Amino acid sequence: MRKFLTLLKINLNLNFGISALKYRFTREKKKRWEPILIAFAIIVGACPLIVLYSFMMAGVFNTGMVLNQPEIVLTVSFLLGQFMVLIFGLFYVMSMLYFANDLSILVPLPLKPYEVLGSKLAVVMVNEYMTLLPILLPPVIIYGIGMKQSIFYWIKAIAVIIASPVIPLILDAIFLLIIMRFVNVRRNKDLFAMLGGFVGIIFAVGINVITQRMPDGNEEEFMKNLLLGNIELIELIGSKFPPSIWVTRALSQTGFSGAIYLLLFIMVSVFMFVVLLWLANRIFYKSLLAGQEVSRKRKKLTTDEAERQFSKVTSPVTTIFWREWKILVRTPVYMLNGLSVVVVAPLIIAVMFLSQKSGDMQELIELINQSGTHLVITLIAIGFVLFTSGMNVVASTAVSREGQTFWISKIIPVSPKQQVMSKFLVSFFVSFLGTIAMSVVMAIIFTLPIARLILIVVIGAVCSVPMTALNLLVDVLHPKLTWNNPQEAMKQNMNGLLGMLISLAVMAILAAAAIPMAIAKLPEWIIYSTILFICVAISVPSLLGLFAAAEKSYRKLEI
Amino acid sequence: MISITGLSKSYNKGAVKAVDNLNMHINHGEIFGFLGPNGAGKTTTIKMMIGLLNPDSGSIIINGHDIQRNPLDAKRDIGYVPDNPDVYDRLTGIEYLNFMADVYEVPADIRKERIKYFLDIFELADAAKDLIKSYSHGMRQKIVLTGALIHDPAVWILDEPMVGLDPKSSHLLKELMRKHCEKGNTVFFSTHVLEVAEKLCDRIGIIHKGKLIAVGTMDELRQGDNAGSLENIFLELTEK
Repeated sequence: MRKFLTLLKINLNLNFGISALKYRFTREKKKRWEPILIAFAIIVGACPLIVLYSFMMAGVFNTGMVLNQPEIVLTVSFLLGQFMVLIFGLFYVMSMLYFANDLSILVPLPLKPYEVLGSKLAVVMVNEYMTLLPILLPPVIIYGIGMKQSIFYWIKAIAVIIASPVIPLILDAIFLLIIMRFVNVRRNKDLFAMLGGFVGIIFAVGINVITQRMPDGNEEEFMKNLLLGNIELIELIGSKFPPSIWVTRALSQTGFSGAIYLLLFIMVSVFMFVVLLWLANRIFYKSLLAGQEVSRKRKKLTTDEAERQFSKVTSPVTTIFWREWKILVRTPVYMLNGLSVVVVAPLIIAVMFLSQKSGDMQELIELINQSGTHLVITLIAIGFVLFTSGMNVVASTAVSREGQTFWISKIIPVSPKQQVMSKFLVSFFVSFLGTIAMSVVMAIIFTLPIARLILIVVIGAVCSVPMTALNLLVDVLHPKLTWNNPQEAMKQNMNGLLGMLISLAVMAILAAAAIPMAIAKLPEWIIYSTILFICVAISVPSLLGLFAAAEKSYRKLEI
Repeated sequence: MISITGLSKSYNKGAVKAVDNLNMHINHGEIFGFLGPNGAGKTTTIKMMIGLLNPDSGSIIINGHDIQRNPLDAKRDIGYVPDNPDVYDRLTGIEYLNFMADVYEVPADIRKERIKYFLDIFELADAAKDLIKSYSHGMRQKIVLTGALIHDPAVWILDEPMVGLDPKSSHLLKELMRKHCEKGNTVFFSTHVLEVAEKLCDRIGIIHKGKLIAVGTMDELRQGDNAGSLENIFLELTEK
């Protein structure tokens, strides 16, 4: 048990970066604002969603009252929470149990397999609370206050919330233990990372579509209708996944029967945990090692191939461009967060607009179309296009992504200016893909002629020059080169956020110039020329500044 | 030729002196072994020599080019292998070598010949089309070595190059080093394997707590009280 606790402590430390945070707060005092800013951004970002969700749950509760089943709010939320843990936990548990870097250190240690697995799973569980708390707390509070529950309810609620991720995570783990014993998933690690990412994106799109369909201010009414239409479905799912029903009864029933259900829920969780540990001891290491063999194609290089491959002499700028591009598309995290975003974002917009023939959006489109001028439409489309290219983090993490391989960039006889030029071109190219995708989507939604489409693409492309240059400048000045996982370089990088803010600032400047001119009904060509002129005016100093900064910064950076 | 004058570097705002007023001159046609206990300042010195770290003071001249003032010219003359072969995992061996050949602007016919030669002697031809991600430590070391030597640099700077290499590759590398110097070039390498240094090096420098405490040929080092093997000399000098 002591070993297990030590392992758990060190895993939690690593997971939350406690030692790293301590170091940052005591030694690297300059950077101490970063985690605070990130936490603040998360809270600000999550608040509106939680408020909206709470309204929805209040609607469910009120509907339940009408049906004389107020506890349905608990069933719905626990089903939702546990279902989410089950789906997302699967990828999370897989990466923790099978792909984590420290496994090669842990396996040779004199630890029992169940100790390693148990401690890893406990870390996943602690992380899942971050997802579960916003889902479970509002309905538990709504029900508790609405039904004027006693202190026992609140005590039971705490116990139930703590135990709620256990069963779905154990189901995930057992499933993986068995699957991994026979299937070499490790070989397809990248594929699974991509799959996990896409499940996340689909989920996000789903939430978007649902919230879009919800009439403003009538969330409760909407939920009521949704619930009344689906009450049988909820009961059906509940009967297939009884833990959610037990939780509901444990909380809603008072006295002895409530306690029995609580006990049942906790006992089943504990029992499953024991089964998992038993299974872990038997097959965890076997399944882990079954996936350890690294496979290589080991195809010999033929003379012809060698001849062809080594005859391709390209300039340093071109070769660095291709290096950047290959690494971008071959690393799942970069691919998902950098490249696919610029293609998926337009798709989301397309789905949102086109899935609602009679909704607010359609009215908006008609209103814009009726305004008789293409100017407004074009400006709106340009806005969407710029937003797509401005929100991608390819430029603002371009140097950070090099991480520990940055030494190569330092030793090669290619000037930092040329190296940054290649990075600029790659980032611009990604933005350009987004520009085209979004422009096409806009042209379809607003049924624009080809000439307008070309105009939007051109303006979008020119405007993404200053945004890309400034985003790249941010990363050239303060790259995050120390990371263990590519995810840290792209998703947990302050430069990404800073870059987005800068892009928003550029867009604000352009909007501040274009909107008054549109209101003043100036000729279209003057407005577009002004936008282009402003972009060029920002681009020139941005690019010059970028190249000058590159020379200084590359020299200054030590690795 | 490498010339280091008055080189100093400290960390933590001067609290830790990693390299302290180092002066060394390595001639053409010389293999120079750089020894020292862990944390003595070997890697810091090497990193300054190739421009990965900036010295606090002093100068480093590589084949007549100051690495600080004229970095691109100096870098063209250097082939560097780090102690830890962190390379682009998501490129194949061939892509990496072509990348290195492109940035060093090696013409097609020469790169063809050199890549083929190194892939053959290091037995990497079978793995060249695989992602570097799938390579073992030794294979990574060999691909980095190949990438570093692809442009036939005059000055080789190698940080513990034998680590991770199998005996055959290690032997090959030693031969390559010897041949390179016979052509009038320079090899500077750090190592913990004293036997290798003793047999291979024309001259040896020992660094301890950031200061160069001994430099010379094996015979010169043996003079005075320090008789015996390099191991004895090393232990005696660094335990002071």
